[in-house]
Amino acid sequence: MPHKWKIAIGILAVAVLIGLISLRSLHRRMVRSAQTQAAEEQARHEVLAAPISTPTDVTAKAKIFWAVGPDQIAPVEVELPLSADPVQRSRQLLHALIVSPPTPGQRTIPADTELFAFYILPDGTAVADFSDALSTETPSGILSEEMAVNSIASTLASNVPGLRRLKILIHGQEVETLAGNVDLTGFFDLNSAAQQASAAH
Amino acid sequence: MHPSTLICRHDGSRPGGARCGVSAILFAVRDLLRVLALAAGVSAFLAVQVVGQPASRQESPPAEPAPQQASAPEAPSPPPAPSGPIIVLDPAHGGTDTGARGEGGMVEKDIVLQIARTVRAELERQGFRVVMTRNDDSNPSYDDRAAVANAYRDAIFISLHVSSTGTVGTVRAYYDQLAPIPPAVVASSAKYRSQPSQTAGLTVWEDAQRPYAGASHHLADLMQIEIAGQFPGSPDTSVGAAVRALRSVAGPAVAVELSSVAAPNLNSLTGTAAPLAAAIARSITAFRASPSGAR
Repeated sequence: MPHKWKIAIGILAVAVLIGLISLRSLHRRMVRSAQTQAAEEQARHEVLAAPISTPTDVTAKAKIFWAVGPDQIAPVEVELPLSADPVQRSRQLLHALIVSPPTPGQRTIPADTELFAFYILPDGTAVADFSDALSTETPSGILSEEMAVNSIASTLASNVPGLRRLKILIHGQEVETLAGNVDLTGFFDLNSAAQQASAAH
Repeated sequence: MHPSTLICRHDGSRPGGARCGVSAILFAVRDLLRVLALAAGVSAFLAVQVVGQPASRQESPPAEPAPQQASAPEAPSPPPAPSGPIIVLDPAHGGTDTGARGEGGMVEKDIVLQIARTVRAELERQGFRVVMTRNDDSNPSYDDRAAVANAYRDAIFISLHVSSTGTVGTVRAYYDQLAPIPPAVVASSAKYRSQPSQTAGLTVWEDAQRPYAGASHHLADLMQIEIAGQFPGSPDTSVGAAVRALRSVAGPAVAVELSSVAAPNLNSLTGTAAPLAAAIARSITAFRASPSGAR
C-alpha cells in the first residue's frame, strides 16, 4: 500500500475516533438534560396539581364543557369553590376541566396536562400556559384538537366575565399547532365561544 | 508555506522530512477527495438512470395505474378537456409527521395520500385540473403547501385529513375560522390600516385567507351538504376551526377530515375516496355557479 494511503487512512481513523468520543459525550449531555427537564416537570406537577383555594372562594355553580359523544362538547353544571379574582377563578375552572370529567370518555384535555400560568391582560386577553402534555397527548386531528380548544374557551367564556379572547401557550412558548392541525399562533375569540356556549344550552 | 514544499514528489518517495510529509498528506487528501467525488458522480448518474428522473418534493407526476383493457370492443370516451379553476389537493402531514395513528398501525399521512391520488384521478376524469401539494412521503411546510395554491390565480385548496377520533365513517368539512383583528391592532399596525389583510395591493401572507373567509365558508357548506348525502351520520353544516393549513391560502380553502384511524381496516377508509371525489366535484361545480365562486 502506498505511503500516502496509509497516512490518509490514519487521518480518517483519528477523525472517526474523535467523532465517536464527541458523540458519546453529546449523548450523555442530552440524557442529563432530558432527566433534568423531567424532574422540573415533576416538581411543577406536585406544586400546581393541587386544588386552588383563595380567601374569596364561594361555592357556586359553574358550566364546564366536556365531551358528549365522540364529536361534540356540552356544558355540565358542577358546584365549585370559585374565587372573586378572575385569574384565580379561571385557574380553578381549568383545573376542574382537566381533573374532574364525569367519565373518562368525556375528557377533552389529556389527564397529564397542567396549567402552568394564567394571565389576564388589561384589554381582556386571557393567556393560558399549559404543560407539554396538552400538545403531545391530545390526539392529532382537527376534530379532537378543536374539541380541546373549544372546551377551554367555552368554559372560560361561560364563567369568567370580561374575557374577550384567549391565547394558548405550551410550556411558555407560542407553538404553531396544538397537535398538528389547529392553529395556536393566533387568538381564540371568547365572545363567539360564549355565544356558541349559550346556543348549546 | 514555502513554494518548494509543494515540489516533493507525488509518491512521497523523496526523503523530505516534515516538509515533504505535509506535502504527501496534502496530495493524499486531494486524491482521496477526487476518488470520493468520482464515486459520488457515478452513484448519482446511476441513480438518475435507474429512477428515470430526480425525486420531486411537490407535484411529481402521479404513478397512475395502467388503464385496464376494456372488454367492450369500442374505446371508452375520452375525458372532457380540463377547464375551470385549479383544484389543489393537499394530503396532510407526511415524512416524520405521521398525523393521526391508529392502534392497528394505520397512519394518517399514508391514508390521505392514497385517498388524494384516487380523488385526483376521479376529478381529472370529470375534467377538473388538479395539482397536489405532495405526491410522496415528503412533508412540505404549511407555507409551501399554501404557495402551491397561491401560484395560481383561481385555485381552490382542499386539505385532506383523517382524524384520531369521531364516529367512524363520518366526514366533516372545515373552513378557517379567523379570530377578529382587535381594533387596537388595526390602529397600530400599518398592514391593516387600508383594509384587513391588504396593503398597497399586497396580501399579508400569514393572513391571506381572511379576504376569502366568506367564499371558503360557502364552499365548505356546499361540500358538507354533498358529504352528508354520501356519508350517513355526518353533520349537515360545515364547521369553522382555526385550521393552520388553510391560513395562508389566498383563495377558497376547505379542510376535509374523515373519521377515523380507528376504522377496522384500511380499505374502509380508502374506499371513501370515490364518493368523496364525487361530493367534492359536485360541490365545486355548485360553488362556481354561485356568486362567491364566480371570479
